[in-house]
This record gives sequence, structure tokens and C-alpha cells, in this order.
Amino acid sequence: MHEVSIALNLLEIITAQCRKEGYSRIDAVRIKIGRASGIMPDALAFAFEATKGDTIAGNALLEIEEVPLTGNCRDCGAVFTTEAEYVLACPECASQSFLMTAGRELDIIDMEVS
Amino acid sequence: MKVKVATKILEANDRIAVENRRLFDIAGVFVINLMSAPGAGKTSLLEKTLEQKTELKIGVIEGDIAGTDDAERVERLGAPVVQINTGGACHLDANMIYEVLGELPLDTLDILVIENVGNLVCPAEFKVGENMKVMLLSITEGHDKPLKYPLMFQESSALVLNKIDLVPYTNVDMEKIRKDALSLNPGLKIFEVSCRTGEGISEWIAWLKEISKKT
Repeated sequence: MHEVSIALNLLEIITAQCRKEGYSRIDAVRIKIGRASGIMPDALAFAFEATKGDTIAGNALLEIEEVPLTGNCRDCGAVFTTEAEYVLACPECASQSFLMTAGRELDIIDMEVS
Repeated sequence: MKVKVATKILEANDRIAVENRRLFDIAGVFVINLMSAPGAGKTSLLEKTLEQKTELKIGVIEGDIAGTDDAERVERLGAPVVQINTGGACHLDANMIYEVLGELPLDTLDILVIENVGNLVCPAEFKVGENMKVMLLSITEGHDKPLKYPLMFQESSALVLNKIDLVPYTNVDMEKIRKDALSLNPGLKIFEVSCRTGEGISEWIAWLKEISKKT
């Protein structure tokens, strides 16, 4: 729902780092989005296209890696991975008490600059 | 040329949130990020809390997309208040809070309540420098909400169930709300209140007094 805020934060970070490293153009950027981050990759890609405009990332390609949700069940101890956007119960024992170990990422991995 | 970035996209926000928290700690004020859906009763809870003449000094930051109605309601009860209009944004972020801190007498406050934009999704994602998140759910929203909006329930330290005077007129299953909320967050502290009748408000205020002593 707040993909534009995320796109603007992303642009700010990568343009600042690109300049700091002494380059003038960003050609591509790779990010990791967790399935349970609340961010929709398509909406973020659209927001990035709409906001990159005349920045030094104006021609940058955005590559999004989706990270599946993984968890540890507090009741049966199962370690699970799912393609779902949200898990409401442990897939093994149906307990609703579990710890999410991955899936909330919203991280920049690297970028291609010139 | 490949350059490693390895940064969280919300890092800038998180950094400002840490700075806000530092300023709150210096001032000795306990900060609550109050979140709920629109119309659940966040401002009513603040009004009921301020109406009880306690020794607690409470300040408020009101976050809304537009308008100053909420700030006026709180100001009438004598609390220092600042209104932030997000101009469309679905949540408050750390920088919006940082920019208005100078307008509040932080040193004189025991508790600062940041009333977030009414929304059950986005506010949970953005830290603003709070000591804890508190979530309000009005029982008329339905007992399915914990499982539909799990992040909000997982991130909050306390859940205030409002409008309990309406329970007899609805099909709400209060036990299911409690059970699902606690399964998502076993440490969640739950209050049942009615901001209309005042029921349960004294327990909520007693808890506010207790947590504010920790700063």
C-alpha cells in the first residue's frame, strides 16, 4: 500500500551511494522483497518506474527477488517454508504460534553503475 | 561495474527513528504509537484518558491525511498537541515526527501518544521512535481481524478492544479475538473498554501509569 514511499527511499539510497562511489549512472538495481513484507512487487516496480524520472537512475532496471516466508513452530518445532504471502498456522501441526524467520525483507542487494 | 549496497530500504527511516528515540529518552518521555483502522476510536480513547484527572502529563501528535478535527478535540482537554497532515500518505514516518518535536514540551511530559493514520496495514511497517506500539480494535470491525491483519497484532505490545458496550447488538465472538490475537502474539496485553460508557478506562489508565514509570 505504501510502495511509492518505498520506491522513493530506494532511489534516495542508491543515487547517494552511486555518487559517493564516484559513478554517474545507475543501470540496474537488485532488491529482495519478502512475501510477508506487505509490499507487492508489481506495485513497487510500477512506483519505481513512475518516480525514477530524471534521476541518475532514470534508465535503471529494477530486478526483484522474492523471498519466501519461512518459520519455526513454537509447538511442534517444525521448520517450514511456504510460497504463501501469510501463514496463519504451522503447516505441520496447525498451531498458530510460530516465529517467522524470513519473509519480511525489504533490502537492496547491489546495483550496476557506470 | 557492480556495487554492493546491502542496505535495508527503510534504513533512512529507521535511523531517524533511532534519533527520535534518543531525544525521547533524554526528555524522559514514554512514547506510544497508537494504531487502528479509521473510526475505531483512537481519538475517543485519548479524550477519555485525558478526561480522567490523573497526575499523568500526556502530549499528543495527531496524524491524519487531512484536517485538524482530532487535534482540536484533544486540545480542548488541555493536552499539548501537534497535528501532522500527511497529505495522502497512509502512515506516519520517523521524519514527519522528527520535524514536529520542537513544537512539544517533551521535558514536561510523562507520555507522548502518536496517533497514527487510521489504517491496519502500513503504520505497522514504519518505526517512528516509539517505546511501544498499541493497537486499538473496535469490536464492530469483527472477530476475523487478527487473522486478516496479523502484522499489526504481532507488532503491538497491547491491544485495546473498544466499543464493548455494543457486544450485545452484534455477533462478535470476543473469545475468538482474544484467542487469535494471543496466538499471533503470546505476550500481548489486552484491554476491553468502551469509550462511550467509560467502562474499562481505569484499567487502561492504571497500565499507562505503570509503563510510564519505566522511563
